[in-house]
Amino acid sequence: MVDVEKHYGDFHALKHVNLDVQHGEVVVVIGPSGSGKSTLCRTINRLETITSGTITIDGKELPAEGAELAALRSDVGMVFQSFNLFSHKTILENVTLGPIKVRKLSRAQAEEQAMTLLERVGVAHQADKYPAQLSGGQQQRVAIARALAMKPKVMLFDEPTSALDPEMINEVLDVMVELAKDGMTMVVVTHEMGFARKAANRVVFMSDGEIVEVDEPEEFFTNPKSDRAKDFLSKILTH
Amino acid sequence: MDLPELLRLFFSGMWGTLELFFVALIGSFVLGTILAGMRVSPTPVLRIAASTYINVVRNTPLTLVMFFCAFGLPFLDIRFGASSSFNSFIYASIALTAYTACFVAETLKSGIATIPVGQAEAARAVGLTFGQTLGEVILPQAFRTVIPPLGSVIIAMLKNTSIASAFNNRELISAMRNAIELRGDLVIPILFGTALGYLLLALILGRVFDYLERKLVILR
Amino acid sequence: MKKLSISIASAAVGLLVLGGCGQGGTPEEPAEGGGESQAAPEYPVNENADVADSKTWQAAKDAGELKVGVKFDQPGLGNVSTGSDQPEGFDIEIAKMVGAELGFAPDEIKFTETVSANREPFLQQGNVDMVVATYTINDERKKVVDFAGPYYVAGQDLLVAADSDIAGPEDLAGKKVCSVDGSTPAQNIEEKYKDAELVTYDTYSKCVTDLQSGSVDAVTTDDAILRGYAAQFEGEFKVVGKPFTEEPYGVGLPKDDKALRDAVNDALQKGMDDGKWTEAFEYTLGPADDVKMPEIDRY
Repeated sequence: MVDVEKHYGDFHALKHVNLDVQHGEVVVVIGPSGSGKSTLCRTINRLETITSGTITIDGKELPAEGAELAALRSDVGMVFQSFNLFSHKTILENVTLGPIKVRKLSRAQAEEQAMTLLERVGVAHQADKYPAQLSGGQQQRVAIARALAMKPKVMLFDEPTSALDPEMINEVLDVMVELAKDGMTMVVVTHEMGFARKAANRVVFMSDGEIVEVDEPEEFFTNPKSDRAKDFLSKILTH
Repeated sequence: MDLPELLRLFFSGMWGTLELFFVALIGSFVLGTILAGMRVSPTPVLRIAASTYINVVRNTPLTLVMFFCAFGLPFLDIRFGASSSFNSFIYASIALTAYTACFVAETLKSGIATIPVGQAEAARAVGLTFGQTLGEVILPQAFRTVIPPLGSVIIAMLKNTSIASAFNNRELISAMRNAIELRGDLVIPILFGTALGYLLLALILGRVFDYLERKLVILR
Repeated sequence: MKKLSISIASAAVGLLVLGGCGQGGTPEEPAEGGGESQAAPEYPVNENADVADSKTWQAAKDAGELKVGVKFDQPGLGNVSTGSDQPEGFDIEIAKMVGAELGFAPDEIKFTETVSANREPFLQQGNVDMVVATYTINDERKKVVDFAGPYYVAGQDLLVAADSDIAGPEDLAGKKVCSVDGSTPAQNIEEKYKDAELVTYDTYSKCVTDLQSGSVDAVTTDDAILRGYAAQFEGEFKVVGKPFTEEPYGVGLPKDDKALRDAVNDALQKGMDDGKWTEAFEYTLGPADDVKMPEIDRY
């Protein structure tokens, strides 16, 4: 990402953002709410458009709306805060829809692959249920499986645990840690410092639409350089 | 004309009503869905075209729409076969479809508005195109949320088929006029009988929609 | 129940009248028939009329108003032309002729629109005192209303383009013939002339429009009605003139008021005898030379 700017009317949501994520790298984006970290995440697959600047994935610039953009999005997995599973489809159908419609897999192939993924995230026995019949943690794991089914080059996580009850947070984080270990390229917006320490290669700290600090997790948490990061960390780590 | 003959007359009329109803039902769902899709499309031309069509046709009395189809289309030499009764059936179907599709589209659009925006975002994030997002994720959910109001639209269409009798279509109202002409002594019972015919069909439709609503309800 | 059925009947009128609203009629002028009788016929009012045995007549006399149900949409018979609020036509003249004989001046006769669906209910409920509205006498109807007359025997006929070679119903095979949806003439074509292709609308004026444009080859209904259109579109259309059914038009009256029925029959007979009937016919429907006066049926 080079010189990315984003305005909502008068509000300057992203200011001069530059970020480069390597293959296989796990980048965790943290920062106070309203700092622009979710917006940053959503611009990467153009769910939010940007006002200026460039975003390139694998050397290619993000295309405008259309078939090309759809193709690009299929290579970028996304996991939302509110899961956003398709509520009229079963768990299995949620995971097979993309592969069948976009990757043009046969139903049998797609289902086989989906069952493997559901197995991996631990909800295979729920395959025939509807999203509303599952707990939040289970739904989020299905959402991860849905994204993985597209065999994405990079996965975006937009506060994946913020809408979960505390006891369900770990089951989702465990899946994410596994993914990170397997070498998936990940951009994770989260408040889970434990995850950042355990899985991240780099931590990006954002505040007021700017990237304030980028560092390795250990260094960032023990020795933050900017005042804003110190202030933020002191607020969340005192408890 | 005795009672069994009267009943036969009414059943043949009811059959005429049903034929028109089913053709227009399918037509208006197809056209209505397309119009609703155009209404929410990212392409301004499609949006404007659909909303213009809907605003013009929906606000024209159905009798006039029928008039345009029954007398305007043949004037433009648009015909669908040699027999005028088949032509008239198609003209009436076109008119009913064109008219009802507007209401189907508006109902669907209101249904689309109730679908959380995250559903479309998730679909797009998976890589579905706009058309696929609409067809696989948004419309199926929108349909389910608007089954009750859609039922009202469809029941209104059932009753609107009665206008077609004025344009060379034999249906329930034709049977009624026919029966009144033959049995002047039974005018009031014949009127009641006709109303009962529509009531019966509408009640059956209502049950079908109730069933669909229960069957297709989406848990959130 | 009576109140309920009145409102139903009124609703039915509303329905059927609305259905007929689409017709784009041209103002109807009285047909310029025989040439001699351009002026409206006048009927001397019988000041000594006394039908006190009739409840209906007595009530009408007390009210100073005779309520007559007529058609408002049949050119030549009973028709209200655009911009006018008074109906005109042969039925109207018959009503005035009978009314005069019963002691009602023209301004004491109140015309109410009746359509096929409400003639019987209106008579049964007393909304009208009599009906003169192309009302064919038949046994089913006699079960609920009485008939005086017939005052004219119409027959189903064909209206065709002036240069058409259709000379009778037997020439209709493969032709498109138009009538009003659900009407007796439409049923006759459907049953007896299956080779003809029937087209039906809610009004005859739509049929006439189609005949003008050539979309249909003939319009069929009672000859009296067709004469009205032929007169309106002189030179363009002609009535074939070979009636193939008999439709005796009667004056519909409330059931079991024999005194009134006798009085109306007398009035009709008198009109036929003293030439008023012929005057009325020529004033509204055209030359009466080849038209036979019917035999009154005092059943």
